[in-house]
Amino acid sequence: MKTALLIIAAALYAASPYLGVLPGWTPSVATVATFIALSLIGMNLIFGVAGMLAFGQAAIVALPGYVAGMLEASGMPAAAAIPAGILAAVAAARIVGEIFIRLPGTYFAIGTLGFAFVMEGVARAFPSTTGGASGLMLSREIVLGELGWYVLALATLAAGIACYVWFLRGSMLRTLRQVRHDELAAEVLGIDVVRTKLRVFTVGSVFSAVGGVFLAHYVGVVVPDSAGVIRSLEQLAMVIIGGAGSAAGPLVGAALVQWLFVAAGEAGRFEVLVYGAGFLLAVLFAPEGIVGLVRRGWAGLAPARKAAPISVPATPVPGVAAVRRSGICLKVESVAKNFGGLQAVDNVSLEVPFGVIVALIGPNGAGKTTLYNILSGIEEPSSGRVLIEDSDMASVPPHRRARHVGRSFQVARLVPQMSVLENVAVRADQLGFTSEAARLAAAGAQLAWFGLGELAGRRAAELGSGYHKLVELARAAVGEPALLLLDEPAVGLAPEEIERLCHFLTLLRERGAAILIVEHNVALVARIAERIFVMNQGRIIAAGTGPEIMADPKVREAYLGALE
Amino acid sequence: MNLFTQAIISGLMTGAVYALLAIGLVLTYRTTRLINLAHGETFAIGGVTAAALITAGVPMYGALASAVVAATAFMLVLHRFVLRPRAHWPISGLILITLGVAFVVRGLLLLWIGPDMVSFSRLFAGPPIRLLGGALPKQGLFLIALGFGLAAAVALFLGLTRKGKELLATAENADASQLLGVNVEAVRLLAYGIAGALGGISAVILVPLISVDFQAGLSMTLRGFIAAAIAGMSPVGAILAGLGLGLLEGLVTTYIGALSQDPIVFFALICLAVWQSRKIRFGGVRRA
Repeated sequence: MKTALLIIAAALYAASPYLGVLPGWTPSVATVATFIALSLIGMNLIFGVAGMLAFGQAAIVALPGYVAGMLEASGMPAAAAIPAGILAAVAAARIVGEIFIRLPGTYFAIGTLGFAFVMEGVARAFPSTTGGASGLMLSREIVLGELGWYVLALATLAAGIACYVWFLRGSMLRTLRQVRHDELAAEVLGIDVVRTKLRVFTVGSVFSAVGGVFLAHYVGVVVPDSAGVIRSLEQLAMVIIGGAGSAAGPLVGAALVQWLFVAAGEAGRFEVLVYGAGFLLAVLFAPEGIVGLVRRGWAGLAPARKAAPISVPATPVPGVAAVRRSGICLKVESVAKNFGGLQAVDNVSLEVPFGVIVALIGPNGAGKTTLYNILSGIEEPSSGRVLIEDSDMASVPPHRRARHVGRSFQVARLVPQMSVLENVAVRADQLGFTSEAARLAAAGAQLAWFGLGELAGRRAAELGSGYHKLVELARAAVGEPALLLLDEPAVGLAPEEIERLCHFLTLLRERGAAILIVEHNVALVARIAERIFVMNQGRIIAAGTGPEIMADPKVREAYLGALE
Repeated sequence: MNLFTQAIISGLMTGAVYALLAIGLVLTYRTTRLINLAHGETFAIGGVTAAALITAGVPMYGALASAVVAATAFMLVLHRFVLRPRAHWPISGLILITLGVAFVVRGLLLLWIGPDMVSFSRLFAGPPIRLLGGALPKQGLFLIALGFGLAAAVALFLGLTRKGKELLATAENADASQLLGVNVEAVRLLAYGIAGALGGISAVILVPLISVDFQAGLSMTLRGFIAAAIAGMSPVGAILAGLGLGLLEGLVTTYIGALSQDPIVFFALICLAVWQSRKIRFGGVRRA
């Protein structure tokens, strides 16, 4: 049904300029819109799917036209100049990405914006090579009739959409949604955030460059404006109006906006305002664009679809067998961390053996979360060493520790729009399964093992916070990492959920995991932890079993204030 | 004529404007954690309003005052009616809104005054002051004095007065400030208002020297952001960074040539980004 509708829609679009129904929608307008749609797939991937604020993409769209045009002017045939132009543009995008993607998102936004300013300025400043303000003429070697160009545009767009869908297959879409929603959790789950974003920006820029170089050759000229900031924002506007993050969004946005301008006649001065207002209104009131509105309308008309039950195996995943390990898993050797003058962690040493639950307690601000950040690699210790399974973690980034370390957070960090199964699968993705089926099976089995199987198909947003904590525990334990770092796993849990938590923690311990928990629930800690460390003001002030700790006057002082 | 002196003079003038823009961006960033991409539009709105009103025959001081009021009102409306109702949105969504607003302002200004550069006559006419072989227009001297003076006044206000300290406290932790009795929303509105006024003031003094068009906003935002980012979003640092960026631009355009000022500030941004990246050990990840 859906496939048939899509084929009909595609055929209608292809035939539309020859039907004469829409005033002004001629084959040449349709060809331009189709090439623009091809270039917008890049913006859609980078901004719509990955959520990166690329505000200068027009520069990447125009650059291959300029490079190819200059090469053609020096005598190179178009067949060689076009790939060279694409290559140059993608290389430029890669360099911009390498410089700005490591920094917080605002830098990337401003960096790409600045890149577009520079490209437009350079295109204007060297009239002898770039044609200056009047633009650069391109080779007329490609002799195609009107229909020929239109067919080329449709064929490249179809190929582009296919590549887009192929790129996002399997775990890629899940990975990007995780990175977009929460970079820190993504990194701790084992995703190399910087590399992933660089990859998306580079791949997206290939689409931008290919669409741009064809468009430039069809129009026959590239002008400085086409590389600039306004054009970049217009491209962003088309993607948002069409539907950011959906495969059809770029085509819907490009076709609609191009047709509106033709139909309205000479837009002239109103053009900037119309784009701007369309952009702003879409961002404010229809963040999913026209495709999103249509989809919602369709869902309202069609009878509610029943969610297909996801089959969850009843037994633990084959391959994830109990690993009996012995010895010391985590060794913290005189670790210290200071932020400016504040000594957050002060000369802390502790050990967590395999098959043992160790608890870390202490009043708020004692330095427990900072210590966790050091253990998972998010913070660098000012001094001291962290050894996991006898290897020094000093230069190991968080995503490479993930194989050995599973971490949960004080406030569970799941992606609310994804299903519980997908959330858990994000960690399974990092463990070397070769097929998507195997990854989902592993995630499903993990949920089933934790007794959460019936939640697999539910969106995380629909669940209560108690279930969030349990799902996060299940996720942290995928692949049975040697070390589990759990940050207040019992906070917000109902009594019966706490029973469940204890049950799972005990099971995991029996299977050999080293477990370190930070917890305020002292009764719980005294019940399940073999050894307790008490932290106060960055230092370990006491260590021992539950009763020993409870009897320690220093601990009571730290918790209850001075007892003199 | 001494090239070096001239480069320093032009650097001081642009530096004063960048300092005003940067300190405005710092104010709004530190109260709402948002990089306001429509910030430079205060400059465009101020400059265009003043030029249009003066052309229409409004007396000079009335036109300049209206221009500053328009820029201030723009920021107040932006915060109160556009951003504040959506405070729970993710930051990237809010940044997109400010970009959309910048885009719409651009479109409206184009409709109002058309695509050409506009300007108006200087407040301080007369022959330029000769100084160490350079020429400093009287208006330029006024710009340097008022620009750095105002920026310093804002920095002092933040550091020394109760309202200013409330403002910075809001930046550190809005919830805690609220509990301690700071009217967080009023403080934010104040920050946006001051930022808008500074943008408008910088426009009404600088525009007679360089003129302005409908699309000046985003490039001013870019410059303000670079200065604010170099300063690590600190108010005092923003003044120094604005000055430094202005001087760099003045020296490079004088000695290497005015290819365009954009590549220069962009190069400064690249250097900054590369420098900042050294400090980031494990990717651009925020702390838990």
